[in-house]
Amino acid sequence: MSRRSRTLRRAAVGYGLLAPSLIGIGLFLIVPVLVAVAVSFESWNIISPPKWLGPENYLSVLTDPDVWHSFLVTAQYTLLVIPTQTLLGLGLAVLLSKRLPGTPVFRVIFALPWICAPLTLGVVWKWVFAPTGGLLNAIIGTRIEWLTSFALALPAVSFVSVWTQTGYVALFYLAGLSGVPSDIQDAARVDGAGEIGVFWRITMPLLRPTTFFVLATSIISSFQVFDTVYAMTGGGPGAPGRTDVIAHRIFSLAFEDLDLGKASALSVVLMVGLIVVTVLQQVYFRRRITYEVAG
Amino acid sequence: MTGSTSFSRRKALTLLGAGTGGALLAACSPNQQQAQNKGGGSTGSAKTTIGFRLWDDQVAKAYEKAFAEFTKQNPDITVKINLVPWQNYWDQLPVDVGGGTIDDLFWTNSLNFQQYADAGKISDVNTLLGGVDDAWQKSVVEQYTYKNKLWGVPQIADANGIFYNKSILSDSDPRLLSQVGKLQWRPGGGPGDTLLPALRKLTVDSNGKTAADPGFNPKKIKTYGYNAAYDLQAIYFPFIGSNGGRWQADGSNKFVFGSDPKTVEAFSYIVDLINKYHVAPSAADTNDNGDFSRDQFLQGHLAIFQSGTYNLANVADGAKFGWAIARNPAGPAGSYGVASGVIVAASAATKNADAVKKLLGWLGSADGNKFIGESGTALPAVTTAQSAWVDYWKGKDVDVQPFVDAAAGKTIQAPRGTGGSGSSDAYDPILKEIFLGRTPVKSGLAEAERKANAAIGK
Amino acid sequence: MAAIRPVTRSRNPAQRVGTVVFAYAVLIFGAVIIVTPFLLSFATALKTPEQFSNTSTLSLPSPVTWQNFAELFGPEHNFISPIAVTVQMTVVILVVQLSCSILAAHAFARISFPGRDVIFWAYLATMMIPAVTTIVPLYGMFTAAGLRNTFWALVLPTMFGSPYAIFLLREYFRSVPDDLEAAARIDGCGTLRVLWYVVIPYSRPIIATLTVITVVSHWNNFLWPRVITSGPDWAVLTVATAGLQSQYNGNWTLVMAATSIALMPLIVIYLIFQRQIVNSISIGGFK
Repeated sequence: MSRRSRTLRRAAVGYGLLAPSLIGIGLFLIVPVLVAVAVSFESWNIISPPKWLGPENYLSVLTDPDVWHSFLVTAQYTLLVIPTQTLLGLGLAVLLSKRLPGTPVFRVIFALPWICAPLTLGVVWKWVFAPTGGLLNAIIGTRIEWLTSFALALPAVSFVSVWTQTGYVALFYLAGLSGVPSDIQDAARVDGAGEIGVFWRITMPLLRPTTFFVLATSIISSFQVFDTVYAMTGGGPGAPGRTDVIAHRIFSLAFEDLDLGKASALSVVLMVGLIVVTVLQQVYFRRRITYEVAG
Repeated sequence: MTGSTSFSRRKALTLLGAGTGGALLAACSPNQQQAQNKGGGSTGSAKTTIGFRLWDDQVAKAYEKAFAEFTKQNPDITVKINLVPWQNYWDQLPVDVGGGTIDDLFWTNSLNFQQYADAGKISDVNTLLGGVDDAWQKSVVEQYTYKNKLWGVPQIADANGIFYNKSILSDSDPRLLSQVGKLQWRPGGGPGDTLLPALRKLTVDSNGKTAADPGFNPKKIKTYGYNAAYDLQAIYFPFIGSNGGRWQADGSNKFVFGSDPKTVEAFSYIVDLINKYHVAPSAADTNDNGDFSRDQFLQGHLAIFQSGTYNLANVADGAKFGWAIARNPAGPAGSYGVASGVIVAASAATKNADAVKKLLGWLGSADGNKFIGESGTALPAVTTAQSAWVDYWKGKDVDVQPFVDAAAGKTIQAPRGTGGSGSSDAYDPILKEIFLGRTPVKSGLAEAERKANAAIGK
Repeated sequence: MAAIRPVTRSRNPAQRVGTVVFAYAVLIFGAVIIVTPFLLSFATALKTPEQFSNTSTLSLPSPVTWQNFAELFGPEHNFISPIAVTVQMTVVILVVQLSCSILAAHAFARISFPGRDVIFWAYLATMMIPAVTTIVPLYGMFTAAGLRNTFWALVLPTMFGSPYAIFLLREYFRSVPDDLEAAARIDGCGTLRVLWYVVIPYSRPIIATLTVITVVSHWNNFLWPRVITSGPDWAVLTVATAGLQSQYNGNWTLVMAATSIALMPLIVIYLIFQRQIVNSISIGGFK
């Protein structure tokens, strides 16, 4: 009896704490998602009332080779961006945590890319990569057509993303590093471990919650990237485009073609994929994370 | 220590809570306050307020004057301008039309009216005004006639023409100054083509050699002759029209640009100008940057800038050299522009039908439309109001008559569609590759046509 | 209580200098790459529109002019309004959302109750669908409720919690040592007091981080404000900045000036909070 009442009490406390967010997230996030799922089975152009279609949108979306190409491009982009920005962000955090003189200035500088609104950054990078009169070509001295080159367009766009996000990743690792107890590190050093050893065997594992969070959210957001990419290349070059990411397809279906049914279907497919990927990460990390340091 | 930290924490929290509470309660927008302070006169007794939506802030100023005059003549009707920036205009419009929150009158262009007509969301001119006015620019009327009805009152007619840099032309060959308005092009540069030789003379590399000289270095061009590029309104549509080609089939939205041989010829000519004769900048510069050619012209690196009335203000403000306007080069079928205009459409859900009719009739007359001309911002679509625009620019020492002639001259219809850009998403990447020289013209256009038609379900 | 200085093994002083030099070299090299586009942007803001169209984007402003900034605050654009609206929106969302997210994350992290994981994954799943798709139904809801183009429309959707914030906080709350909580409970603390006196102070770095992130992301939010507001009354900074552009003219000198203005408060916020993130009290024992 008392175990049941304890569970009930815990449930009461838990749901009590959860109440505001349940209402807010439920109403403003979950309900629209459910509506989107419903719309994915309809044909709707916003202007006129929707018409029921059944699974036709899913069939059309999943058999469209251009859609698969977009998924491929987005996956390539993710593979280029995520490992790079995570490693660089970690390295940057380590450097910035050393409290060398002048560090606060550097910390602000490296934060600039991600606190700036993306609208103008896309255009400024276009000026940097422009073949005629662009900054990069002026520095290098030769004319390279960065954004219209099959080989270079995606790396260029990925570079810009890494440029934008590294400071952001570093922020998390800085917060994470602050939580790493220095007494354990000291104990290890006293025991004779080198700096790298200390880092690899003590600090890194303790940073795993940070790494898990950073990886999970970066992957989710990298599959939804499109603003800056689109501003720089418009999805090209080539047909199908070398930088034609999936989020742009969805945006274009929704707001340019006014085919919300297909846009919703594609979004649902994307969402399911991301859930699977996140669950896999969760499984990988759960077994390896020590959340607290005993004592 | 616990005491002091919790004190400062509490203090901070109180401040924050007060601030947030204040913000929530006040939730004030300085703009709203201003509007209220100006004294609400619109909440009057028998006054009707009509909403008018458009995207151009310069033309909006002209409308403000126009509406002030209209209210003077019709004291019980006021017009409120809703300026929605171009960036947001086409996202906002379907949402507002579908949601019933659209203004009584709104601007629209030729890509974005058929779907509203089909859905019964806008009213046609016959129902509203009883008929089409002869004074309205014919090309614009034709552009917006769908299912035998005209779906709005023409307000602006865009016209095409070339801006040319007088000093570059006279430095190269002074005779060009008088020839520039009568240039001719022929497919493949065949007999009778005077455009290509002129452009080759005008294109100069950093060693001073023109594109007609041996030893010309296409990698180090200092001055370009022309702005041939993947630009629908300025370049490829006029070329298609002046060769007698078609973009879409007559009377339908089906694409024929790959199967019509004259269209293919036109594209080949343009692409050759860029990649074979090097008289125009590389597509790598122009494909994704619509401002490149204009900026090159303003910086004095481009001899002939083919564009339209929409760039007139930019050129007038920015050019630091002597320049003038002339007609587009003529092809075998003559000198062509693109029939492109803006209409104001009337929402079928309006609650102020009578007031709307009055305003629309007035906007479609020379009296109402001349305000746009007087501001110099755009060419009025009511032909009897166009002299106001010409006079404005005469006052600035610019002869814009070639534009007026072009608007009344031969035109090819701008693309028609039902608002979806699925078709342009289908052909756009392929056409860009064609201009980059990486895909051959004929097969590329055929493939693009196939995909575009598939995208619109034909 | 400052962090205990790590016991440094005696190292070759040359090695130490080498590491410091290397660190600075890397930081400076990175900083140059980071800052250059901003210099380009700011230089553009200082140019006249005529100079911008007449000369290369790389040219230095000559003359240097503040007219773009002045024009933004002039009667035509009246940028004070978007600034005010954005500030109010951000403050309200920050305070309320942070509180609700902290409560929720605490529940997910430290209390076990039936249905907990299902709800948590439901929250997470909402992050995985592109905003574009959920915006139209949300727009429909707000229009039906008559809340279109109001302040409430700007803040309500995210005010009561953010799955991202809850996810982040949960990961960190889970690492609060159980003994700390146990000790507090022995002292008679209920759940809320545990949250207030133990979990939150322990998690100050991450809460500071989250504050910065929340402020930045709502300050720069574009899609939702653009859809749900129209006209100048409730335009936020991002929407007002995009509105500076016309159909044929990018007006880049104005836009860059607007971007620079929008950036300033964020830099200040970052400066204030970054100290919290790094110079935090070292965790290592009971208080």
